[in-house]
Amino acid sequence: MLVLSRKTGESIIIGGQITVKVMRVEGDVVKLGIQAPAEVPVHRQEVYEEIQRNNREALTSERPAAPKLSPQKGSRPLSKPVVEKPQASTPA
Amino acid sequence: MNVTQTTELEPLTVKSENIIHLPLGLLGFEHLKKYVLLYNEQDAPFRWLQVLTDPKLAFLVLCPFEVLPEYQPEITDDDAEFLGLKSPQDALVWNIVTLRGNGHATINLKGPVILNRYTLTGKQVVIANASQYALQHPLPVIGTTES
Repeated sequence: MLVLSRKTGESIIIGGQITVKVMRVEGDVVKLGIQAPAEVPVHRQEVYEEIQRNNREALTSERPAAPKLSPQKGSRPLSKPVVEKPQASTPA
Repeated sequence: MNVTQTTELEPLTVKSENIIHLPLGLLGFEHLKKYVLLYNEQDAPFRWLQVLTDPKLAFLVLCPFEVLPEYQPEITDDDAEFLGLKSPQDALVWNIVTLRGNGHATINLKGPVILNRYTLTGKQVVIANASQYALQHPLPVIGTTES
C-alpha cells in the first residue's frame, strides 16, 4: 500500500481524473473531498460492502413466490400495482 | 419465464426502448448493466428486476411508498445529475427485497434503485439520509409460506 502524508488543504490525484483532498482533520476524523468522474462511484467502504452483501442475498435464480403484504391502514388495496409504469421517452 | 407474457412494459415484447440501463450495475454486480422490469399478477405489488442477458437471474423489487408512506429517500445532486432528473417526479424508486424464508422478507431502504422514468437509466444510489433507514427493513407480511 502506498502511504502519503498530506496536510489540510492538500490533495492527491489518482489516474489523472480523481482527486482526494484533505478538507479538515478533527481528532480522529478526517474529512475528505473527492472529485471523480460520474462513472466512478465513490462509497464509504463499509456501506458499499453491506449493500453488496445484501444484493447477493437478494439475487434469485428460482423466481420464488413473492411474500404477501399485510394491508396498510388507510391505504389502497395492495393487490393492484400502485405505481405508474415507466415510460420510454421515444413514443412508439 | 416468458418475457413476452409477463412484462408490463408496452409493447409486450422486450424492445430496446423498454430496457433498463444501469450503467454502473448494482453494487457487487457492476458487470450486469441491462435489465427488464417484469410484473405478474400473483406477485403484485412486487416486480422482478430481471437481468436481460440471463433471464434466470432476477431481483425482487418493490416501490416502497405505499407500504412505507414515511420513507423519504433523498438523493445527492451528483446522483440527480447522473440520472438526468430535473424534478422528483422524473424518478421511479424501486427497493430490492430479500426473501428470508418462511414468507418473511426485508427491504433495502439505504440503497434504492432510482430510475429516470423517461430515459429508463438508473443507478443504485446510497441515499443521502441513509443513516435514518435500515438495510434490512422487515416487510409487513401476512401468514407464512414454506421457505
